Amino acid sequence: MNEKRILLMGNEAIARGALEGGVSYSTGYPGNPSSEIIETMFSFKDKHEISVEWSVNEIVALEAAAAFSFAGLHAMVAMKQNGINVCSDFLTTVALDDLKGGLLLVVCDDPGPLTSSNEEDSRHFAKIAQVPLLEPSTPQEAKEMAKWLLNFSKQMGIPCILRSVSRLSHGRSGVTLDSIERPKAEPFFDRDKPLVGLPHLVTINHGKLLQKMEKVQQIFEQSPFNQYEGPDDARLIIMTTGLGFLYAREAVETLSLTDTVGILKIGTTWPLPAGLLQKYLKQADEVLFVEEIDPFLEDQVKVLYAETNGEMGAVKFYGKKSGDVQGPGGPGVGEINGDVVLDALTKILQRERPWSKDYAQKAAAHAEKMLVPRELSFCQGCPHRASFLAIKVALDLDGRQGFVVGDIGCYGLAAGATGFNQIKALHCMGSGMGNASGFSKLKSFGFNQPAVAVAGDSTFYHSCIPALVNAQANKADALFVVLDNSVTAMTGFQLNPASCGVAASDLINPIPVEELTRGLGIKTAVLDPVEDIGKAKETVYNFLQEDGVKVIVFRHVCATFKKKKIKDGQRSSARVDQEKCLGEQCGCDRFCVRIINCPAIQYDSPKAKAYIEEDICNGCSMCLQLCPQKAIMLVDTATGEVVK
Amino acid sequence: MSCTIELEKGVIDTDLCTNCGACTNLCPYLISFKGRVIRVFNCETENGRCHAFCPRINVDSESLRDDFFDKEIYVPEIGPFYGLYLTRATDTGLRSNSQHGGTTTALLELALKEGFIDSAVLTQSTGGLEPQTIIATRPEDIRNCQGSSFQIPPTLAGLNEALKGEAYKKIGVVGTPCKTLAVYKMIKKLATDDEHGMDKIGMVFGLFCGWGLDWLGLDDLVKRHTTVNKLKQMDILPSSFGVMELKTEDGLIEIPLDEIYPIIKESCKYCTDFTAEFSDISIGGARSSAGWKVDQGWNQLIVRTEKGKELLEIARAKGVLEFKDMEPYNLDKLKKASMNKKRTGLKNLIEKTGNKSDLMYLSPNDPVIKGILNSAPFK
Repeated sequence: MNEKRILLMGNEAIARGALEGGVSYSTGYPGNPSSEIIETMFSFKDKHEISVEWSVNEIVALEAAAAFSFAGLHAMVAMKQNGINVCSDFLTTVALDDLKGGLLLVVCDDPGPLTSSNEEDSRHFAKIAQVPLLEPSTPQEAKEMAKWLLNFSKQMGIPCILRSVSRLSHGRSGVTLDSIERPKAEPFFDRDKPLVGLPHLVTINHGKLLQKMEKVQQIFEQSPFNQYEGPDDARLIIMTTGLGFLYAREAVETLSLTDTVGILKIGTTWPLPAGLLQKYLKQADEVLFVEEIDPFLEDQVKVLYAETNGEMGAVKFYGKKSGDVQGPGGPGVGEINGDVVLDALTKILQRERPWSKDYAQKAAAHAEKMLVPRELSFCQGCPHRASFLAIKVALDLDGRQGFVVGDIGCYGLAAGATGFNQIKALHCMGSGMGNASGFSKLKSFGFNQPAVAVAGDSTFYHSCIPALVNAQANKADALFVVLDNSVTAMTGFQLNPASCGVAASDLINPIPVEELTRGLGIKTAVLDPVEDIGKAKETVYNFLQEDGVKVIVFRHVCATFKKKKIKDGQRSSARVDQEKCLGEQCGCDRFCVRIINCPAIQYDSPKAKAYIEEDICNGCSMCLQLCPQKAIMLVDTATGEVVK
Repeated sequence: MSCTIELEKGVIDTDLCTNCGACTNLCPYLISFKGRVIRVFNCETENGRCHAFCPRINVDSESLRDDFFDKEIYVPEIGPFYGLYLTRATDTGLRSNSQHGGTTTALLELALKEGFIDSAVLTQSTGGLEPQTIIATRPEDIRNCQGSSFQIPPTLAGLNEALKGEAYKKIGVVGTPCKTLAVYKMIKKLATDDEHGMDKIGMVFGLFCGWGLDWLGLDDLVKRHTTVNKLKQMDILPSSFGVMELKTEDGLIEIPLDEIYPIIKESCKYCTDFTAEFSDISIGGARSSAGWKVDQGWNQLIVRTEKGKELLEIARAKGVLEFKDMEPYNLDKLKKASMNKKRTGLKNLIEKTGNKSDLMYLSPNDPVIKGILNSAPFK
């Protein structure tokens, strides 16, 4: 076969690696920075006859994938770091099995979170579950590791983890492709080899797992994923994993230290290749640890060092614990980069920095001057804007200082001005409903502030159902608003059980939220908040006055999804009647631009009039209802005719 | 400071707000809901109409009076005064559904017929609860608004609505003293902004008012004694009777005043106007010092302007109203009651601020207020 090298994003490379490794089934739940892995698998689906699905949550995804492994085929599960918490219960038990097919769990961490509600280092789960974990440094290596791990998982009979981070998942580089393996095995579940986690078997299986892991460690001692570069007599060695390797290499090269400083790149992060590490510990006087996010390698190497009872001689350790490796947020917080390593090296070696330490800040400050200030905002035409306006006004009218407890999705932006600063608590998937249920139990302690839980459709199916059942069963008083926009919008419009209408797909059997909630005996209203904001406000207010659990489904398809999906056809846009617009005058004071704040609404300061950017307006007509002067109309952009 | 914030901090949060509605229906920022004005968003305008209209901010009664009333007829206790009358509607049908003598309804119908007004901003309620503001343009609409609501509905929100566009050119307004004061502030502001702005207000009818009740408090009180859909009317008898009457489908229910006092609207404690001094005509229930029953079913009415005089004369000439001779002590009693309210309001304001020269919304330099503060028990 001719060697083929193409530009791939880290996540695409992982998917390609799984394909080359012979994966038959890929599951996952979307979440940045992992989403493109399953998206890419969908692109392989038909050609390579792979089964792919967006599961409703990560534990279901892992459980479903495990079934393929139980039957002898390879399966891959992809998720972001929060997902591993969700699936950890199954992970720690499936690790005790003797798997027939490869089971690969890919987890993508989000250091210095761009889109996460925590900054978790998922590597700890490898130690908790006692399963192998690899960390790639480049897209090429990510592909190789994914491919290798599927087969290694089958070989050892245990699930394996591949850990990526945002910059690797989303960075692109040239990747050399290999041939694609297709599974040869016929799937079969052997009833004579039950996979049963009964207590009396657990100790036996746990012992077997530890024995397997000892064998894994021996294999890892020789793994080509671990590399040393630098002089054989280096006294200062950088021990690093993942992207830390590239940062370390950049810093060493920048300071022209390639002849004196060694870099030990560890790809097999768990279990660590103890022999290999001890070899370099013996050689080094000083060790600098470079890794993201927690000092995981750092801590484990120190344990290894202690376990040798002084055979290694004196070694001075530098890293997060010593405070030598840290970004602006402090050690173990936020992303690191080449500059952070450069900083650590110049400090250890008492060298001059090649450029001033505040260079980056100066550059950022300079760049900021060139940028137009923009706040985080819902998209133009986003139905969440109408939903949160309705909730805000209803809570104000209610007057008991009610508040919104949120969840994970685009609508999390409602903690800011775009959602009228409504969300006052936001944690993990499904937490809003659980919180709201608990807040209502404070009633007997004299608490009367209503807590309104909000969650999107995808989040609802992911993890709100148990909280809702709990609230209903335990007689809570809580209002739960499901912001149903038909797709998992924040992560790229993936399908979910709410997908219907414009978002309908052969891949999904739609399950309307209200059928489920009404089946639980919960009073449920379904309405379109954009179509009638007044009715939406009234419904929220009225439901707030009632005891018990209540659900309101605000249903309106995601505006950006709709716009992407329906590229052609009639387009309408709002338009401001310049004669009627009051601008800054009493009675308006730029209500549409200042408060409704849709990106399509702009303000012409010299004329003191609002206007609509018709190219980006989604024609949702929410602003028509809200303009105090009734100065906004809806026009057909092709004909200019007033539609509404 | 933005006007909405100033209103919130200076009027709403300090319990001065009467929920008259003058600041609402002007913009998306302030909403009146179940007796409360709520600032939903902040407006950054500094000199908004809400601020200019509010009867609980910067009230310069003297100057406002001088703009609209004849100085010569001013009576310190009860305001501009052409005369006090005991009247009732001649139409017995009208009277049977009225709170007292049906004078207000009869005069409004007459004003509409005679072209003094082309519409009237009124309150319609269910036996005094769930009041809603309506814009009436036909006599039958006016009749549907008979009876009092003690919840102080935001009537002026309806006026603000009526002032939009060109549909109404001579709007009649009926309201309690806080509302009619606001109406004159509105006229003044409208006239400043546009010389014809004030022309749209046709006539102002004031209602005598001792105090109003807290919206939700009254809801709860009624629900404790009857069901809302059975309620036909409510009235608060003179304090010597010690009762509030609920007229229901099941008969009369008397509620002791001890249950009423706790739900008196806080803002009413700071009011100094009993007779709605800012109005063309103001009307109340007749209360003879010879006994409640003596004048029961009659109204007492003060005429304050030429326009008021003119309307009353037509009412007399056309037999729309019946007039009853009045004993001289009726005026003295009214003056006394009115002065008592001024004293109480001022006392409460001073207690609130702890400072005789800080009367919150009122000017300590107003001659009437000065006069009261310079006499017992303030001196």
